[in-house]
Amino acid sequence: MTNSINEIEEAEVILATGSNTSEAHPQIARRMMTAVDKGAKLLVIDPRRTRLTELADVHLQIQPGSDIPLMNGMMRIILDESLADRMFIEMRTENFEALQEMLNKIDLAEVERITGVPLAEIRKAAILYARARRAVICYCLGITQHVAGTKNVQTIANLAMLTGNVEKEFTGVDPLRGQNNVQGACDMGALPNVYPGYQKVDDIACREKFSKAWCTELDPAPGLTLLDMTHSGANGPMKGMFIMGENPVLSDPLLDKVEETLSNLEFLAVADIFLTETAQFAHVVFPAASFAEKGGTFTNTERRVQMVRPAIAPIADCRTDSEIISEISTRMGYPMSYESSTEIMEEIALLTPIYGGIIHQRLGGDKWGLQWPCPDQNHPGTPFLHKHYFTRGKGHFIPGEHTPPVEPPCEDFPFFLNTGRVYHHYHTGTMTRKSEALNRESNQALLQVHPDDAKRLQIREGDILCVASRRGAIQIPAQITHAVAPGSVYTSFHFSETPVNRLTIDTQDPIAKCPEYKVCAVRIEKAP
Amino acid sequence: MDGMYILSKDHLRSFLRKINKANRLVAPIVNRHGDTLFSVIDDLDYAPYEFNQQSQNGIKSFFFPQQETIATYSSQDGDYSFTAPSDEPEPTVYFGVRSCDLMAIMHMDDVFMGEIKDQQYMAKRQQAILIGLNCNHPFENCFCNATKSGPFLGSGFDLQFTDQGDNYLVQVGREKGAALLKQWNQFFTPASEEQIQNQYQLSLEAMANFQLNVHADQAIQRLQNGQVPEEIWQSLSLRCQDCGGCAFICPTCTCFTIVDRKLSADHGIRLRNWDACTFSGFTRMAGGHNPVHHKTQSIKQRFMHKLCHDVKEHGSPSCVGCGRCVDICFGGVDIVRFIKMAGED
Amino acid sequence: MQTIATENYLPQSAIIHKIINENSQIKTFEIVFANQAVHDSLKYLPGQFMMVSVPHCGEAPISFSSSPTRTDAICLSVRKAGQLTSAMHDLKAGDNLGLRGPYGTPFDMVSLKDRDLLFVAGGIGLAPLRGVINYCLDHRNDYGQIFILYGSRLPSDIAFHEDIKLWQQESGITCLLTVDASEPGWDGSVGLVTKLLADINIDPSKSSGIVCGPPMMIGATLKELSNRGFADENLITTMERYMKCGVGICRHCHLDDKLVCTDGPVFTRAQLKTMDVAELR
Repeated sequence: MTNSINEIEEAEVILATGSNTSEAHPQIARRMMTAVDKGAKLLVIDPRRTRLTELADVHLQIQPGSDIPLMNGMMRIILDESLADRMFIEMRTENFEALQEMLNKIDLAEVERITGVPLAEIRKAAILYARARRAVICYCLGITQHVAGTKNVQTIANLAMLTGNVEKEFTGVDPLRGQNNVQGACDMGALPNVYPGYQKVDDIACREKFSKAWCTELDPAPGLTLLDMTHSGANGPMKGMFIMGENPVLSDPLLDKVEETLSNLEFLAVADIFLTETAQFAHVVFPAASFAEKGGTFTNTERRVQMVRPAIAPIADCRTDSEIISEISTRMGYPMSYESSTEIMEEIALLTPIYGGIIHQRLGGDKWGLQWPCPDQNHPGTPFLHKHYFTRGKGHFIPGEHTPPVEPPCEDFPFFLNTGRVYHHYHTGTMTRKSEALNRESNQALLQVHPDDAKRLQIREGDILCVASRRGAIQIPAQITHAVAPGSVYTSFHFSETPVNRLTIDTQDPIAKCPEYKVCAVRIEKAP
Repeated sequence: MDGMYILSKDHLRSFLRKINKANRLVAPIVNRHGDTLFSVIDDLDYAPYEFNQQSQNGIKSFFFPQQETIATYSSQDGDYSFTAPSDEPEPTVYFGVRSCDLMAIMHMDDVFMGEIKDQQYMAKRQQAILIGLNCNHPFENCFCNATKSGPFLGSGFDLQFTDQGDNYLVQVGREKGAALLKQWNQFFTPASEEQIQNQYQLSLEAMANFQLNVHADQAIQRLQNGQVPEEIWQSLSLRCQDCGGCAFICPTCTCFTIVDRKLSADHGIRLRNWDACTFSGFTRMAGGHNPVHHKTQSIKQRFMHKLCHDVKEHGSPSCVGCGRCVDICFGGVDIVRFIKMAGED
Repeated sequence: MQTIATENYLPQSAIIHKIINENSQIKTFEIVFANQAVHDSLKYLPGQFMMVSVPHCGEAPISFSSSPTRTDAICLSVRKAGQLTSAMHDLKAGDNLGLRGPYGTPFDMVSLKDRDLLFVAGGIGLAPLRGVINYCLDHRNDYGQIFILYGSRLPSDIAFHEDIKLWQQESGITCLLTVDASEPGWDGSVGLVTKLLADINIDPSKSSGIVCGPPMMIGATLKELSNRGFADENLITTMERYMKCGVGICRHCHLDDKLVCTDGPVFTRAQLKTMDVAELR
């Protein structure tokens, strides 16, 4: 997020897109509600109806995968209405001409057709957003889990820069990160091409710095992406894997391929707090300590680094992640001996400029952590990013053209399938499905079907449906609801009994390598 | 012994040490993270009890734990039998309990020791001595003046303390309090007329110190008359984020569920867990039918029960005005907001 | 009507004596307590229910489908719906259950005396009424004419065949069946259960209507009987809700300001009309 979470409360306009915020980020939704209470206008772009769309002033119920035409249409309207922030564009951005040229070619009637949203609604949203003095865009996986994911994000950035809605307090573009520490994991280089702090592996200066600190030669080539690894197959390059706290046997697309890869590894080790579906493929399983049993930091979606303290001692033979890594490393010939997470944090501060001033002593007591960038120990942290200048200098407009979903519905597979989450479960349910209370609230995936489609196909509530895509089929009970538009169906991926990722497509965004979980074509029929 | 007495603050700790000999002691304690919570005092010499901040919890969980084993069961060789847990609750003195939390215990007594005596609850309750502490300075979200459950209480305690600067005025409530006072009478001297008058003065000042202005009576009346429109339930239900925090933090929320936990093929334990009426699973029946429409009515029972049904049943609302749900609700569906909405035309 | 003052939630061991397959979804369990003294001391009336435990599955409330006049075993008729009832359906004669109760307010069999009784049931809703009907048969002189109207979804869903056969043979009893949708081989009535009202001759002024079935059916039937002249005080139903304690504490079964477990499950339409009840909405 470029903003802090609390800033959302002060926005005049909030544009939420590709985010079922009240189910996936309730603490963010709370700020949106507070903002609405204070008079903010809430604009929601979502192919489905959610709690958030009920609260919205404008709900743009788009056809799946038509985000770029919609936002381009909004930008064209903003230009036509002379609501672009010319001063901001002049001073702080570059390549505006290219964007303008593309927008001028747009046919708004075509936008209405592709998106399925009435032009009047698009106009209303565009004008509200452009006129706001403080406007925030929140987006989530509904934007990124598309083959056009990167272009979607660039188009959001275009919209924000066009109206000058960046660089200010209460104003900006906020990707909502999911897991408590997914931001921290990325910050720490759990990505194929960077060291901690987004320092590039193929940058000689960076590499030498880490090489010196770690007293070892480092491979100059970036690593493999997630799907390059889990989809490498029986004869792929992967010989051994160590998987920590991840359950790709349920969470990755093309599950058959994942299973093929894992079952053909020469060696697989898994560290997790329970024996997950993935751990069942492992040669060695390390029982890991849970969040309640370890100390260190988590970094949340607003870049806030916060202390975590062990509430209880690890149960039985469980070890913390850092102990497991250190022990393995030591036995493999590279001794690691950190006396505590405090020592690890000091090493992070030494090698990672954005964390340069973050040490445990500054996070404890009654403090609520520090937000990076925090380059030195006198620095107070950074509540919102891009103040006065963008990280890369001037904001660069990258015009994006419509890239339709790879697999639109067709005669054989006439429905859009969208996948997401439910409030009561977390990811593949390795933790939440152990809770009696959460299981009572939700214990199975349901396929949401619009009443019109249900009537046509003579489907009743609770009927077991067979849902098939070009890649596989699952059986799942029907839920008849207006939450989905006619022609679309939706379900969640938490449940191993209904592994929806047998259906999803593995085509990825060419840059971010994120698969298009949000759209594929399926056929539904009553199970025999 | 009844009437009014004085205990010098200098001797509070030594008085507590005496009663600690035969009783477990529970009081609001600041933990190492700076949170004030009612906790068992392990070592009186190092107990940082804290009376200037509102305790984040009430004392509900000491009588009605978040999770408790109500039976163990075994099923083998044609036998399926249940055994009650054998642990006996310890005698416990609860010290520094505010009016709202004392009132909450009276409500819990109505629930668990009304027509049906819940053995689990009753066993703990019978071992409890409640020492109250009147509120000279209501906290930020307090509105017990509106629910008539404070800041000074006339009953519901065994002993009641009032902070009078360098001493406590001690008022005897029930028999157990009188016995305690009698046993340790060396700590107490009779209060003077002036000191008793001072308590009255303090209660008046406390009444004037509330920061919130909550018209519970008005909302209760409108609920009883059916004048609260459906739209209010709908708009608040839409904002409820299903966390159950309000019920868990509430000192009078006593709804529970019962689940079995399998420990082996032929034995297990039966647990009673806190539950919340705002969860859709609270009313959903086997087969999926739910008589409560979750999206539009999830919070209706909560407020109806507290502000309408319990007034009818027990004569007073089962909201005690402690304000804890105001802090904890992150959807803005707290009872103060509801009372305000319900009171408006 | 509460028979106990303290509650420790401990079930008593009971043994399934016999299982009758009523249809593909409903089984009737004939049960005796393992301890004869416990069995002999059980006092209940139609309309009350037991909390039933199945190992590792927790508890669920199940109405008596038997009449206390028949003391050899108690009957619980159960439709397979959730985890516990599915586990019950997997049990066999000789297996154990846990039982505590009886709980709930029963039908007021005294105030029904000398009246004509109209029973209207849908699906598993016949189970609690079966207890009432057999109670009346065992006190035949206390009650007037008896009409039983029973609706099922399909002919193959019709349950309680044995009972229906006996009732249809009994004089002074009219027992009619209908189905929502026909199947080959069915030559009986097709339509909602209220349609059968046209086929009977009943005087609402000296009759009471006793209704049980799915939520929608209850609401519609009570309304129809009211339209036909039954007073709300003489229209009686029994409500079903999710329950945990059975004794009025856990509050899962809230019905506006009442609780189904203690104030009910038997309610008159007059009572229900003073409340906000999903079935009547």
